[in-house]
Order: sequence, then C-alpha cells, then structure tokens
Amino acid sequence: MKFLCIPCDEQMETQTDGIMPEENKNLAMKFKCKKCGHMIAMLTNQFETEFVSKLGVEMGGASSVGSGPMSMVGSQLSQAKKELDKGKPEDNLVWTEEAQVRIKKVPFFVRNMAKKTVINFALEKGVTLIDAKLMDEVREKVGM
Amino acid sequence: MKTYEDLAGDGGSNIISQVVSQREKLRARLDKIKHKVALMSGKGGVGKSSITANIAACLADRGHTVGILDADLNGPSICHLLGVGNDEKLVINDDGIKAGEGAMGIKIMSMDMLLSSPDTPVMWTDDAGATSTWVSTMESTALRELLADTIWGELDYLLIDMPPGSDRMDNIRDLIPELAGVVEITIPSQLSQHIVSKSITKNSKMGVPIIGLIENMATYICPHCDKEGKLFEGQDAELLSSKKGINYIGKIPFDTRVSRKTDSGSLFYAENKDSITGKAIAGAVDSIIKFIENKTN
Repeated sequence: MKFLCIPCDEQMETQTDGIMPEENKNLAMKFKCKKCGHMIAMLTNQFETEFVSKLGVEMGGASSVGSGPMSMVGSQLSQAKKELDKGKPEDNLVWTEEAQVRIKKVPFFVRNMAKKTVINFALEKGVTLIDAKLMDEVREKVGM
Repeated sequence: MKTYEDLAGDGGSNIISQVVSQREKLRARLDKIKHKVALMSGKGGVGKSSITANIAACLADRGHTVGILDADLNGPSICHLLGVGNDEKLVINDDGIKAGEGAMGIKIMSMDMLLSSPDTPVMWTDDAGATSTWVSTMESTALRELLADTIWGELDYLLIDMPPGSDRMDNIRDLIPELAGVVEITIPSQLSQHIVSKSITKNSKMGVPIIGLIENMATYICPHCDKEGKLFEGQDAELLSSKKGINYIGKIPFDTRVSRKTDSGSLFYAENKDSITGKAIAGAVDSIIKFIENKTN
C-alpha cells in the first residue's frame, strides 16, 4: 500500500514518530508529503490490524529490538522465558510494570514506533519514569 | 496522477525488504538440512509424537544427524519425550537460538523450551477479549521463527511433529516448499481412519507428497509371551491407503514400554530395536528413506 499526495503528485512517507495506538485494537499510521508537508492518517480497524501483524514485520523498518532471534515469540508470548524478552527499553528511562505491559500490548509491527513516541515525549518533558499516566498523555497529545 | 508502479520504494514502511530478509534467513537455515519430513494425522491421540521421536531415534541410530521441530505449538510434547527440561537455559546469539539437544543427540525446538515454566500454557495475550484471528496470526509467525531462528546446524533429517488436524500444513507448505513429504498416522479405529482420510485427501489436492500411511497401535504385544492381539476394532488401514492410492508403510504394534520409556525422557527404540515394535519402527524408517531416495533420483 502506498499513499500519494494528489496536489504534489508525490509519494507520502511513513512517519515513524507520533504513534500511540490503543493496545491491540485500532491503529493510526501517519504519512507525510515531503514536498508540501501535508499529513494524513490511515486508520485501521482491529481485524485489519491483526492481519498486518501476521507478517511479523515492523512498520518503518526493523529495529534492533525486532531483529533479534524469535523477536515476535519473545515479545508477544504472554509468559516467555526472561532471556527471550529483548523488548525492554534500551535507554535509561524506567518503565513501570504497568507501562511495560501496555507497550507490549501494542501490535508488534508498530510497537517500536509507539515506544519511540513515548520515549521522545518523556525526554521532551524531562521525566525519567514512564508510567501509564504518561502514556495516556502521549496518546492525548498525538491525538490517536 | 502517478500510479502505484510509478512510485519507487515503499514510502518508508520498509515492509517488503523485511519480508524478503525473513525469507532469506529461513532459506539459509533450511539449505543446511537435507530432508524435511512432516508427521501428521487429522486425528489427535494416535501417537504422532511418540512415533516421530522413535523414528528420529532410529535415524540417529543409523548415523544420521536429526532434528525435530515441534510444530504442535499449543500441545508441545517433544521436549518431554526427548528429555529436554524447561529449566535448560536458552543459548541465544545474533544468529539465533541454539536447538535443544535431546536423547541420542537429536536436535529439537519446541515452544516448551521458550516458556517460563513447565506448566505455562502458550498464550499470545492475557487479554480475554483477544480474537481468534489474533491468535492464529501469531501462530503463523511463531512457526516461521521456530524454523528460521533456531540454530539447527547441518542436518540429514528434520522431522516436523505436526499438531492434530491438517490446517497447520498450509503454513508448512508455504515455509518449506521443498518438503520431502508427509507421513500420515492413524490407529485402526474407524473414527481415526475417517478423519485421517480427509487429511490424505487434502494433502493430495494441495500437491503435498505423501510418503505413506502408518497404522500405529495396530496390535498389542503381550510383554510376557510376545503374542500379538488386536487393540481396536476396525478395518485394516491398508485398505485406506490402497483406496487413497498411497503407500502403506505398515503396522506399528503398541508396546507398553513405548510410553514408559518416553515418559522418562528415554527413547524406546534406542533400547528395544530388536523387539517387534522396534523392528516395525525400523521398517517405517526404511520406507521413508526409500521414498526420499526414489524422489531424489
């Protein structure tokens, strides 16, 4: 699937920041025209979201988290062995248990984009603790 | 206005290159394995996993390098059968996860190796509202990861212990197009043969090579006098194979030592290859090898 900015006749680009979907449910992906800067959002329902999940890919490119062995099994399995769980934040921020559970519920293929959005928001705000309240704030800010 | 074909690249989604990369990784892994054989049955409880484990034992006994992929994601039993405990630490590096090593050096990968405790079920979410679509999409991807991200090394044979039913074969066909074939397993009961018949028909229609039919628990061997008696009523499964036009691999008699040995993480075949059941397992292996040799030549 590709998106075209009709006035500019240019392909729109996937935006890898500003994503904070409802866990496991609807999904909003942002696309931007690099010529005029116009942005649109593609909204998917739960079934469409699940369908894309089957691919085991990450929108916007495989991250270091996603490229490890058995990344989908390790991050998606409800009670996987600890050594498989490479999905923990790779920065110095502290995620509460609830926040970790919530980010884990974001569909795999956009999880790292969502994580990046939360991390950037926390850094901008100057906080080091990511909790559920902060994640709600992020969602409110990005409007999706 | 530009069309789809006019737009170069994927707009930054990077999906196509990731899918290509996944395929390349899988291919590189499978290219090191000479023969891939699936063991399946439309019906549950016919002894697929025990047969798989003992066929692997027979192959290993003949000097082949063997691995087993436990494709029964929700009812994994291969770890138990080959004595690989859930407490064994995973060896993970950038290339993948090292396959577990069971009895007779047989390499294995199973969901049981990845779960936090022996009695943990395979659950893809704790959300009670998750749809069945969600779960099935996770299983398809999990199967690919189990195959592609396991460091199997060079193998002569990879046996795939399939779950009951025939739906998972669609995934396997897609992941392993060069599959040497499937071994269908039934017990003599009419019900089992009725269901396995559907599985054979489906595989035939889908162009999946069928190595043949094994009739497991065909008879019962008395541990005291070695006499054989019938365990189930039902027509001879050889008739089913003849009706379906597939090879009848043969009967494997039930021997109480099969379950006793496998429950203790040891393999029946390794210690009882000269028993009636052991010889039947060896006969099944002869048929599998012959089928593959004929196909290859």
